[in-house]
Amino acid sequence: MRIDRCAMLLAVVLLGACSTVPVQPWERGRLARWDMRWDPDPLQAAANAHAHFSKEGSDGQIGAAGGGCGCN
Amino acid sequence: MTMARTISPSLAALVGAAAALTHGAAHAQSAPEGDHVGYRYNVYGEDAFDGAAIGSTQRYEVFSQQFQLGTHVAGGALDVSATHEVMSGSSPWYVLPGADGRPIQVLSGATIREHRSELRAAYTAGAGTASSTTISASYSQERDYRATALGFERSRPLGAALTLGYGASLSHDIVQPTDAVLYDRIHHAEKNTASAFGSLAWVLDRNSVLQAGVQLNHGDGYLSDPYKLVSVGSDILPDTRPGARTEGAALLRYRRAFAHPDGALHLDYRYAQDSWGIVSHTVDVGWYQRLPGGWQLVPALRYYSQAAARFYAPFFAPGEHRFFSSDYRLGTFGALSGGVNVRKRIARWDFSIGVERYHAATDYALGGSDAAVPGVVSYTRGFVGVDYDFD
Repeated sequence: MRIDRCAMLLAVVLLGACSTVPVQPWERGRLARWDMRWDPDPLQAAANAHAHFSKEGSDGQIGAAGGGCGCN
Repeated sequence: MTMARTISPSLAALVGAAAALTHGAAHAQSAPEGDHVGYRYNVYGEDAFDGAAIGSTQRYEVFSQQFQLGTHVAGGALDVSATHEVMSGSSPWYVLPGADGRPIQVLSGATIREHRSELRAAYTAGAGTASSTTISASYSQERDYRATALGFERSRPLGAALTLGYGASLSHDIVQPTDAVLYDRIHHAEKNTASAFGSLAWVLDRNSVLQAGVQLNHGDGYLSDPYKLVSVGSDILPDTRPGARTEGAALLRYRRAFAHPDGALHLDYRYAQDSWGIVSHTVDVGWYQRLPGGWQLVPALRYYSQAAARFYAPFFAPGEHRFFSSDYRLGTFGALSGGVNVRKRIARWDFSIGVERYHAATDYALGGSDAAVPGVVSYTRGFVGVDYDFD
């Protein structure tokens, strides 16, 4: 049931996104801001993720694997 | 590693790769980055153990330094980062049933200082353009643990508002536990992890973007923790987990810029489920508030909940068990965390400082839980950092 609810939520969001009006390149000034990046501070994002990763049982991140453990 | 985790892709490199991917995936929102360097000093300290326990109560501390260099080389962008960690303290070892049936956590002796070093490099062709390709490599080494990983990522536009991102990676880890003879641990073990992922990013309007992604991870080899033991009846046996694990995850990320107040909202949701039975939900909310004078204030909240692996229990009754673990990281629990960062821009310099408080408990799990998961950790982290842009 949890999976069903997540799938429905995903579908609603995706359908909503498909209905948007195209944004012209000269209208994207705000989107280019540093604080609109997915991870504005990659070093801190890496430190956060490493701390959480070492204490939790589930990764679920998007991206390439690598690195080591450094956990207890 | 002092106590190995179950499946090994390190998120330090992984998140760096995700950042590289999403720069491409949302190319419309990111100007090409110039040459820059960055440094962070991080401090991590766990709370004292508050349950019934035997052994050293000196909990874990980690001091880490991160360095980053980004520069343009041969028409592309090269990003190199290095991390060095120093770790010490005691860890949950195994759990004994108390006289009243309540679990008693046995903690290991406090370790001497352990070190971990990691180097990662990523090269992106077409960085900052509509179509980019990134290759990455990383290497991490501890006294008893080595990990090598390679990654490939690609992004390309699918129309004016949509960008496709996809990639794959491989990781090979080697564990050679310390005191293997003394404690009858496995002497040498290896594991491999393969990941594939894809994402779609939409420019919804002039103020907001949305990304949806999926990831599949598969690990095989030695996925147990060589340092952990399990109480099975009157025996104390090594932690024993399946030799393969497959995990699927879905991610939604939303960013929205506001003019009044001048800031940006970050919303992330992540769902993950694996073949061991662990199901997790993670919600991250952040607000990037711009302030006069080059200041920025970033409060953030995070909620995490996971359901236990099928073979987790604090201790086991006598009998035939194929797999068993009492590692709290495989139990049912939830965690609430909150933090705040402050940044100050002065000319080409960025100075930053931040703190995070992380509190985990079994009754924070989604739907509540009264499961016995001794060893669940709460901690406080802080950092200071500086960045410099050459352009």
